[in-house]
Amino acid sequence: MALLKVGGLSKSFGGVTAISDLDFEVPEGQVYSVIGPNGAGKTTLFNMLSGIYTPDEGSIRFRDREIVGRLPHKVAELGVSRTFQNLQMFFNMSVLDNVKVGCHLRTKSRLWNSALRLPGTRREEKQAELWAREALHFCGLDKYLQLDADALPYGVLKRLEIARALAASPKLLLMDEPAAGLNDTETKEMRKLIRRISDAGITVLLVEHNMGLVMEVSDRILVIDYGSRLAEGSPTEIQNNPRVIEAYLGGEIEYAV
Amino acid sequence: MSYLRGFYLLTAAALLLPLVFPDNYYVTVVGVTAALHAILAVSLNLLMGYAGQISLGHAGFFGIGAYASAILTTRYGWNPWPAILAGLVLTGIIAFALARPILRLKGHYLAMATLGLGIIINIVLVQTGELTGGPDGLGGIPTLSLFGWNVNSDLRWYIVIVCVMLLVVWLALNIINSRSGRALRALHGSEVAAEMMGINTTATKTGVFVLAALIASLAGSLFAYQQSFVSPDSFSFFFSIELVTMVVLGGMASTYGAIMGAVILTFLPELLVVFEEYEVMIFGAILMLMMIFLPQGLFVGIQSLLRRVGRNRSELAGPDTGEPEESGRGAA
Repeated sequence: MALLKVGGLSKSFGGVTAISDLDFEVPEGQVYSVIGPNGAGKTTLFNMLSGIYTPDEGSIRFRDREIVGRLPHKVAELGVSRTFQNLQMFFNMSVLDNVKVGCHLRTKSRLWNSALRLPGTRREEKQAELWAREALHFCGLDKYLQLDADALPYGVLKRLEIARALAASPKLLLMDEPAAGLNDTETKEMRKLIRRISDAGITVLLVEHNMGLVMEVSDRILVIDYGSRLAEGSPTEIQNNPRVIEAYLGGEIEYAV
Repeated sequence: MSYLRGFYLLTAAALLLPLVFPDNYYVTVVGVTAALHAILAVSLNLLMGYAGQISLGHAGFFGIGAYASAILTTRYGWNPWPAILAGLVLTGIIAFALARPILRLKGHYLAMATLGLGIIINIVLVQTGELTGGPDGLGGIPTLSLFGWNVNSDLRWYIVIVCVMLLVVWLALNIINSRSGRALRALHGSEVAAEMMGINTTATKTGVFVLAALIASLAGSLFAYQQSFVSPDSFSFFFSIELVTMVVLGGMASTYGAIMGAVILTFLPELLVVFEEYEVMIFGAILMLMMIFLPQGLFVGIQSLLRRVGRNRSELAGPDTGEPEESGRGAA
């Protein structure tokens, strides 16, 4: 069954088309990757899926609810979480607090309850801390718990962003270039982490330039170029698709895998 | 709760001071002003230090509270308590109505808009003379009384204002170390990521703006009753800047820092009077030196300095001494 259904999606910026008439479906429980050259519209697509941009046309249905027209925090309420291509950490907070922010939607206390420290809020605080520690543990970040976020190296921050997104207990996780800037060892760890996320029953939508990683973790791949669909299929199908080889991957395919 | 340890210390210090130094000018007179400034700085710090939304018009809300209480008690014969409440309601309405359009702006633009807001409030206070007394101000404001206990001496005002300050500090600390406080800091760190974590950033900004304005309004009412006289000068743009300086000087995003900034900026001019005409120059030089050597602010700077010293000590004493360090962020 499709968890996410995108139909007739278009978006342009001042006459420049970023996405045009794009259709695809993400099946529940899979790792679904979107690839394409720089400027193909991948990040624009992600921003529409998460409610940051409003598409000019088309619909995005997530578990039969419309995403178009919702603000990002309302999209998050549906069970969508994401990471960002250029890190969007809360550098003014500790590692633990960063991930606790991820628990925002799983807790309820309002400004006044918190201000007066009513009993319910204390219980919630303990619960949020537990969830945050769980998410950090899941991403192998236990030892950084008490540090400030701005004291961490880049590779760790990439995982911290994932931990924060997972703390929201999402149904769908959008990952925007999780391996960008990582070295080989870190990329390997990232690959395992994506697999574990998928094994935990979370559907993953991945945008990534590292073809080795994409081919290895993906169940299905969508190739876009100039904002429209070039091909879609399993990793093997994509690797053998002549249009993809010619238009995008070129002779690099052998080398990249 | 562990984050309240500093608060207990503050409470003890604030309540012991008048016992140790009874009838001391620096405790019961300057101290009251410092506590009042601390209330304002702590509220502004919620908005500016934690949520990252600068305001150069905070004195305006302070003024609305002061004038609401002054006008209602002197011209309409209200009891001081409902007058405080009326000031809070009025401030709440104004702050709520302005929050959305103003807080859509960011950075310099937000600074300019709030600056304008503060100036407009000040002009209204000056121009509506038949109500506010215009530039001459408004006198004869009655004092507060609590079940027959008249707040009519310096010491009594010290008790009232310090207790309100402690209450405000307690509320602020609770907020910061909670889900709502994390939402504020997240919004400061990355607005788009905060939204993506399900935080309604517009509502959060509006909430903290209104809350900070309400606290300032309460401080304004207390100020009016304590002084028994108000004039627009006390709520000018310069005072807004002074409040921002207190927050920055003590250390942004630190409640204790805001208190420290308020205390220093209140006491420093008092202590510098011995330099007579050089007073202002020396005052300025001290501020500059503090910002050059402790750019994160006095409190935060000293805190991290102490932590570094502590770390060196434990290294000297050998491995595995002491607890793992708690993160300093947000705890205060």
